[in-house]
Amino acid sequence: MKFTRRTILAGATAAAIPLAAPHAQKPATVRWWYHFDDPKATPDALVAGFEKQNPGIRIQAESIPWGGGGDYDTRLYTALIAGSGPDAAMVKFQNMPRLLEMEALAPLDRFIDAWTAKSDISDDLWKLHMAPNGKRYYLPLQYVVLYLYLRPDWFAQKGLPLPTSFDRFLAAAQAFTMAERWGFGLRGGSGGHDFWASFVLGGGATLEKGGLVTPAAFAANKWFIDLHRTYHVTPPSAPTDGFLQTINNMKAGRTAMTIHHIGSANDMVAALGDNITAIPIPRGPQGDGWTTYGDGSNAVFAASRNQEAAWKWIAYLSTGETNTAFAKASAQLPVTTSSLAAWDAQPKRFIQASAESLPIARVLPATTQTADFTRTVWPQTTQKALLGQISPDDMMKVFDKLYFG
Amino acid sequence: MPWLLLAPALAITTVLVLVPAAQTIWMSFHDVVLFWPRSRPFIGFANYLTAFADPVFWEGLLSSVIWVVVSVGLQFSVGLAAALLLNRRFAWRGLARALIVVPWALPSVIIGLVWTWMLDFNLGLVNELGMRLGLLAQPIPWLSQPGTAFAAVIMAVVWQGFPFFAVTLLAGLQSIPGELYEAASLDGASGIKKFYHVTLPGIAGVMTTALLLRMIWVANSLDLILVMTGGGPGTATQTLPLHAFLTAWSGGNYGQGSALAVVLTLLLLGVVVAYLIRSERA
Repeated sequence: MKFTRRTILAGATAAAIPLAAPHAQKPATVRWWYHFDDPKATPDALVAGFEKQNPGIRIQAESIPWGGGGDYDTRLYTALIAGSGPDAAMVKFQNMPRLLEMEALAPLDRFIDAWTAKSDISDDLWKLHMAPNGKRYYLPLQYVVLYLYLRPDWFAQKGLPLPTSFDRFLAAAQAFTMAERWGFGLRGGSGGHDFWASFVLGGGATLEKGGLVTPAAFAANKWFIDLHRTYHVTPPSAPTDGFLQTINNMKAGRTAMTIHHIGSANDMVAALGDNITAIPIPRGPQGDGWTTYGDGSNAVFAASRNQEAAWKWIAYLSTGETNTAFAKASAQLPVTTSSLAAWDAQPKRFIQASAESLPIARVLPATTQTADFTRTVWPQTTQKALLGQISPDDMMKVFDKLYFG
Repeated sequence: MPWLLLAPALAITTVLVLVPAAQTIWMSFHDVVLFWPRSRPFIGFANYLTAFADPVFWEGLLSSVIWVVVSVGLQFSVGLAAALLLNRRFAWRGLARALIVVPWALPSVIIGLVWTWMLDFNLGLVNELGMRLGLLAQPIPWLSQPGTAFAAVIMAVVWQGFPFFAVTLLAGLQSIPGELYEAASLDGASGIKKFYHVTLPGIAGVMTTALLLRMIWVANSLDLILVMTGGGPGTATQTLPLHAFLTAWSGGNYGQGSALAVVLTLLLLGVVVAYLIRSERA
């Protein structure tokens, strides 16, 4: 055997590896699933910052398609059942009942109790994020509150007051509806249950036993369906319009009002400048109101072997400046008090509309029925009612049957 | 030795086809819900009975029949016309033969998205062109009305699928000996008579095989409908495979979804058997 300089060097390197191994600790890899509405947004800078602070932890951030929420949820559930789920993921309240049924969530109480940045998140938010069994599985990350976008210039031209009640809303919608322009961009496709809830749960219906089939509930729902069927203040495509259609119609000046949240504010301003503003969703005949609180949290999964590392990562995202950076990337609002105080990522009028909407902000009940309701039952049933295939009352009876049997 | 040579193919078929098929049949008799992984009790025919009691199943069945008959019929008609055209001599025929395959080569999701935006009520090319040419008095919400939504998805699948018939039938046309046409001409046969008595019998074998194959594919396909309408508005475009997919994937009810898939398979069995007999004879 001939020994060259290269073989000696290679042999020396190979011999050195086992000696060096005990000193080099293998970094813990945390797989984290996330979704940003803007596909160009990325958490790379946050990952780099965290890994610099925590050299023993590597973050594998995986962007998961949203698909109206349904795709993300199903991918998460199936991955967890198959044993190939992430260590941590962005989740919503509506996921909690199913994740608890699957015993997939790791309780975070011991981590949260020892967390020094805990006080930077308000007690209200901590209460809201508590599971029905009294434990904490979710760490607040970001939030949005749905509000009503409208065209102040058109309201000024017509001399109409900004709508604070359902009657004024309808009057304005009728005033703005003309050839190829409609008063209200209604979302009848996936995700439109938030529109329905704003007017029907805000107009007298409740998600309690019998609360969907009272005369007040029927009246509120009929009024909602009549926006399309009777008053024709919505585009003819409303039964299947989704997020893109309602937002694009508003930006193109085809609709005078629609519902969304601060996540689209900068996009709206880029298209319409000062001719776009937002106010809380009008209140119902009884003075009640409802708007959707869009939560965004992180959870660590029970099957994870790196729970402590995963906690460090999600805690990092919900802490002060990094929470600000995350919320800016996702175009939503931060959950930390310190971040909110200095928040300037969107024009003030939209931040104000979000804040003013908080008193009527609610979430649908965290039950398994809600997941079926939002994903399949609501769009299918509502589309049939909007097309006149079933009556508005029958639509409410379907929802009542789903929730209360 | 023959078994040894067949072993790799059999192993792959077992893993990719037989095991999933057996698993689907097993799940159809059990209460398999994604969110209850530890509880999968045997429930007999309950999933089947629930499916048959659901009006959406019967709506889906009717939609499936319309979907298969109309779309395969149109694909065949357009494909045959294209094949006859491409069988003639004309300038750039080679290029035309290559270009006609493009819709067939595109992924269904891309085709679905392209047609969705072309048919969009507000920004769609179809409404814009229709209005400018004076064909439409006002824009039409194509995908928001049950009738037009179904027509739209059928139009998209016809556009996607006719090249399959065009290329297959063209191959059949090219295999017909020219002498047959010459003999027919000598006997004084008109163009239509040549078509009925020479062309159609000449491509009958290819035509039947292509029709059976395409019927099976279209009956099973759901991607285009899923992308364009998601089965809506309401359940207007929800065919049986899409109903099974939504029940299993969106609803997490794999037991019920499997029962629907088994029913669909049994319904398709007649076509599959016809195809197998045809293949044996060939």
